[in-house]
Amino acid sequence: MFTTLIRRELLDNLMTFRFAAALFIMLLLVVANTAVLIKDYERRLADYNTAVKTHQEKLREKKNYMAGLAEAVVLDRPPNPLSIFNVGLDKRLGNQIWIPYDLVPTLWDAGMHGADNPLFNIFTSIDIVFIFEVVLSLMALIFAYDAIAGEHERGTLRLVLTNSIRRGHILLAKYLSAMICLLVPLVMSLLLALMLLTTSTAIALSADDFLRIGGIVLSSLAYLSVFYLIGMLISAATRRTSTALMLAMFVWAFLLLIYPNMILTVAETAAELPQDAQARRASAFNQIEQLWEEFDRQRLKFLRNDPVPGEEPDLGIHGLGAVMADFERYQTTLRYHYYTSIAFREVGPRGETLVPHAKNYFGFLTPLMIKTAEKTWPIRESALKDIYVQQAEADRMWLNLSPIGMYDAATQAWTGTDWESIQDFFEAVRQWRLTLVDYLLDTEVFASREWFLSDKEEADWSTLPPFSYQRSGVAINAKRALPHLFLLVLTNLVLFMAIFLVFVRSEV
Amino acid sequence: MIWHIAKRELYENLNSLRFGLTTLLLLALMLTNAVVHLREHPKRMQKYHDAVTASLNVLRARADNLYELVKRGPGKLYKKPSSLHFCADGGEAVLPNVVNGGGGNWSWADGLSSIWRLKYPSVTPNLDNIEPDVTKVDWAFIIGYVLSLVALLFTFDAISGERERGTLRLMLANAIPRHAVLFGKFFGALVSMLIPFTIAVLMNLLVLSTSRSVQLDADAWGRLGIIFGIALLYTCLFLALGLLVSARVQRSAVSLVILLLTWVTLVVFTPNTLASIASGFSSPMSADEFRKRVAQTEGALRMKYATYDENQPQKRRRELAAYVTEDAQQNERLNQERLSQQLAQIQEARSITRISPVAMVQNLFEAFAGTGFERHTQFLENVRSYARQFREFVTETDRHDAKSRHAVGVREGMSQKEVAMEAIPKFRDELSLNRDFNTTAMDMLLLALFFIVLMSGAYLAFVRVEI
Repeated sequence: MFTTLIRRELLDNLMTFRFAAALFIMLLLVVANTAVLIKDYERRLADYNTAVKTHQEKLREKKNYMAGLAEAVVLDRPPNPLSIFNVGLDKRLGNQIWIPYDLVPTLWDAGMHGADNPLFNIFTSIDIVFIFEVVLSLMALIFAYDAIAGEHERGTLRLVLTNSIRRGHILLAKYLSAMICLLVPLVMSLLLALMLLTTSTAIALSADDFLRIGGIVLSSLAYLSVFYLIGMLISAATRRTSTALMLAMFVWAFLLLIYPNMILTVAETAAELPQDAQARRASAFNQIEQLWEEFDRQRLKFLRNDPVPGEEPDLGIHGLGAVMADFERYQTTLRYHYYTSIAFREVGPRGETLVPHAKNYFGFLTPLMIKTAEKTWPIRESALKDIYVQQAEADRMWLNLSPIGMYDAATQAWTGTDWESIQDFFEAVRQWRLTLVDYLLDTEVFASREWFLSDKEEADWSTLPPFSYQRSGVAINAKRALPHLFLLVLTNLVLFMAIFLVFVRSEV
Repeated sequence: MIWHIAKRELYENLNSLRFGLTTLLLLALMLTNAVVHLREHPKRMQKYHDAVTASLNVLRARADNLYELVKRGPGKLYKKPSSLHFCADGGEAVLPNVVNGGGGNWSWADGLSSIWRLKYPSVTPNLDNIEPDVTKVDWAFIIGYVLSLVALLFTFDAISGERERGTLRLMLANAIPRHAVLFGKFFGALVSMLIPFTIAVLMNLLVLSTSRSVQLDADAWGRLGIIFGIALLYTCLFLALGLLVSARVQRSAVSLVILLLTWVTLVVFTPNTLASIASGFSSPMSADEFRKRVAQTEGALRMKYATYDENQPQKRRRELAAYVTEDAQQNERLNQERLSQQLAQIQEARSITRISPVAMVQNLFEAFAGTGFERHTQFLENVRSYARQFREFVTETDRHDAKSRHAVGVREGMSQKEVAMEAIPKFRDELSLNRDFNTTAMDMLLLALFFIVLMSGAYLAFVRVEI
């Protein structure tokens, strides 16, 4: 009997206009947008490759260590191929970062390497998950609004219930068959998207990526089911299809258009305490400043106590080449460090006598700079977290109260374009910087002649520790996605129970 | 007869669920919009005024010497926030709000230094970017997205519903012309949508006018009127679309599915997809290429002025003045070229997205609210004309000083007289309504055209259909 019910429902659904329309529109939108998104990804990848090449060239152009390490160590974040599915923060956050050894780099120090037009951000970019978010939810509601109310109106519900069927079974049969129907456009459009992906030579998906896509499908299923159940609940609660339809449409508009935008606008306006943020920023900046002032005192003390007079940036060497030494202060992102770079190609005979003195000075100064940078890092890290991250986390929590927010968060976690995954890159960069610093301290290259002078020997950049960044494994993606997925499933269960209660207690 | 049918429609709608829900939804959105604007706008204005004051103070500090003015320029020039920001946000967070009219980047040991030029800010990633993406709840969103959806929900069963119930046949059995039925339905739906919408708009404006910090002048009210008119036209367009589909299709459920999918494609996806496609048509100068070209022109210029006759200091001074002037001009020209390429790309994308009425409405709202891209280009134009004015002022002042050697750009070659702060032209960022009318006339015409086409489509479909 149960299978008969499912078969009946399936046939009912499959032969409808709405099914054909849903299939058509999904395929159209997904294919059109995937083609555009692949183009976009290829361009970003090309940008990334050029950026890596230019940065390496620029480093190689530097003939002495100091100039290279102070100015030209730049790492790039590769674009994520799965950003086609959910772009998340992948395109919005900085993707090239300059790493001076005397500053621990953060997201807020990153820039953009893309040759893109920055003004183009006035158009929002869409991805496959966004299409699913909008179209699947709409389809689910259109499939569900007359599931019970329609049968009720036509009187067939009474007819079905005269057989010895449990009401729960009817609900389950309706649910299962509709889900199968809705899965068809989802899976077909995804398959088409994957086919398009494989035609592109720039995108090579690994086995892990397919698992991640599997995770996206799973999340999509849970999301779809939430909306189908919402529709069914409305259908069970109202007796007339026209009422159910109206209600369903307004609920859809509320959940998709209004809630996410309104709650964030309200949350941002309500939570914003600019004075607090300002005070927090100022106090942290002050602390950092004090540490660097202490550094400067020690630096000046060293210069005063050493036998050679001359406290100008180039220590009186007057060589041929560029000299720079100053503090860089930027309160907004709490960026504060001592910036010194000397690149001499030649020195005169008088300068030559001062070279040992300079070696001595940098042998003292560089470890001190590194040490000060390490000392300021915890202050900066916690302050940046309070100023920028907290608000964003609160916003995400508010968004997570709606199914669309949960779905978005889950798919972002699967694709690895969420906040934590982007942070992974910067964590990797910081780790790499530590190995760089260790390398410097071990080799003591800063106490050598090549540190600032390239007349006898030039800097050998091949000995630098290599940087490589791998996206986090699928297990970590899963771990980050599961809480959101769990919330979605929980919503499903609650809704199903609500429908069951409403339907069982209703008179036919 | 039309009015009779319209009245019947109106009464029917007033008691319906959709009317109540629409009222609720629009009221909630409009009130949120007003409250947010009340909180944000004073902060925005304060920030602008502080920045402008700081900029003026900087100018005052360098005002006593004409050479300092030439070398360092007028300082930062800020975009004035619009008082109608609540109508359209226009992606203001993405667009820069300042142009730096500041000094150049090199100086020689003998005191010669590059002079000021306009510098358009290079965009760094926005620091608040880690927050979730959000569409601002402005009028453009409420009308562009929500009102258009509601319009479809009001008309999807206007004709197909009556046909299903059989009342259409009954009605046409009387001596009522078909067009009267159609227009009656149209006006009925329009009025029943306008009631909640107007109430919500009035509430919004009421809340806004309670505060003294947000003041709307006569010009702003005029603009609001035009914006309301555009919203009306836009609503009519979607009502006509709803009637067209409703007349063609036998069942209301099918009509709704078609309409919703059309809406999703037209409103949600078309603007963004088309913009992404359009971005591939042209590519502006990349940052690297730009840097390369700057270095090239600077080098070439340096070579040009490298050799000189040491016995003719007068001539050399004039040459150096020409050098720094040309250097600033070339740099600014390159900057300008890159910027106009970027702007042209956006312009192209915007004209292609015009296929979608929501993009059109967004553009129109931005134009009349004085926000967004159109406004940004206007700001840039204001900045450029101010830069001309500033340069003219400097040359004029120098010319009027008989003692000056008239080598603008070199310290010794210029007037040494004091400059009165009052005499220096100040930057004023203004909007003009006339200009907006000219740039948006096209969009408005297109919108009207769309409406007429859809309405005649609905008329034809309804006249020819078998009941």
